Amino acid sequence: MSISRKPPPARRAAAPAAPAPAAATPAGRAGELAAAWAPTAGRVLLGLVLAWFGYHELVQPGLWTGYVPLVASGSALAAVAVLAHGWLLLVLAVALICGIATRVAAAAAVVLLAEIVISLIAVGGLSDLTMRDVGVLGLAVCLTGRHPQRLVLRR
Amino acid sequence: MRPPTTPAGPAGLTLLAVTAIAGIILAVHGWSGRHSGLAPGALGTTASPASATAGPASPARTAAPAGHASTDRRAGSRSAASPAPAGSSPAAGPGPLLSAQPYASYAFRVWPGTPNAAARAALTGLTVKVRRQGSGITVTASVSGQPAPAPRFYSGGARVYIVEASLGDDSGNSDYSLGDDGLIVTDAQGRIVQ
Repeated sequence: MSISRKPPPARRAAAPAAPAPAAATPAGRAGELAAAWAPTAGRVLLGLVLAWFGYHELVQPGLWTGYVPLVASGSALAAVAVLAHGWLLLVLAVALICGIATRVAAAAAVVLLAEIVISLIAVGGLSDLTMRDVGVLGLAVCLTGRHPQRLVLRR
Repeated sequence: MRPPTTPAGPAGLTLLAVTAIAGIILAVHGWSGRHSGLAPGALGTTASPASATAGPASPARTAAPAGHASTDRRAGSRSAASPAPAGSSPAAGPGPLLSAQPYASYAFRVWPGTPNAAARAALTGLTVKVRRQGSGITVTASVSGQPAPAPRFYSGGARVYIVEASLGDDSGNSDYSLGDDGLIVTDAQGRIVQ
């Protein structure tokens, strides 16, 4: 009678076919970590961007009226448009940072950012400013999908 | 069908409502001070053009870099830049030190001498021409591609600065917002000439 430490033939045949657990490798663990936290990081960072611009548009609208298309930048209408834009940015920023209806907030951000990109292109054509906003728009588009979100205010 | 990943609960809605109210308060604050906080001679304000003194025909020095001479400033329908604060008088004396002003760190000297890289960036979309005239200088500041206003005389003026609070609104040869741009003239001691 002999005792073999080798696994049975069936197990030996099946072992190479079974995929290794993703978390077994550093790359796999990094991937799992990114999958768990990247949507949250993207959401919070986009919220910070919107908050920064929203706050400054609210407190110093005169610095932003030049971006309002079709309206004289020194006019009251341009200032009102900037203030309304800043207010909406601030509300969306809080929603994103705190994780309140994130997909809805992201969708609204997509509309806002698309409007910004289109107006920039219409006024000044493609530029570094425009392309930078295109990237932010892409982030907002990504956040409209279903992702596991952490650090959210669910109540 | 799965529910949304992050529903808006009462606490979330309350927070959004508080944010909305805070935003309205900030907007009221911004509306009331929308014309303040800018440097004197702000190019983007609606300040009425100051009285200008036409200078004699003398050799002119332009502070605008050559690359910007024919640029298209896309700051909208603003007709022309006002090179001086509203209500100022060429006969007024020197004011406070530029170095003591909160916007001093955003002021870039464009005359005399050759503007450095930061000043050239601040001049994006602007054309500034300076001429010596007697004990002072005449300055013409305009949006590139638009008609220049009449030159303005600054008695005792010795240096010309462009104020650009943020270069983030400059792209290529365009400045999307004149609201943070201004022009300052100082005397030889660095005091702002009104």
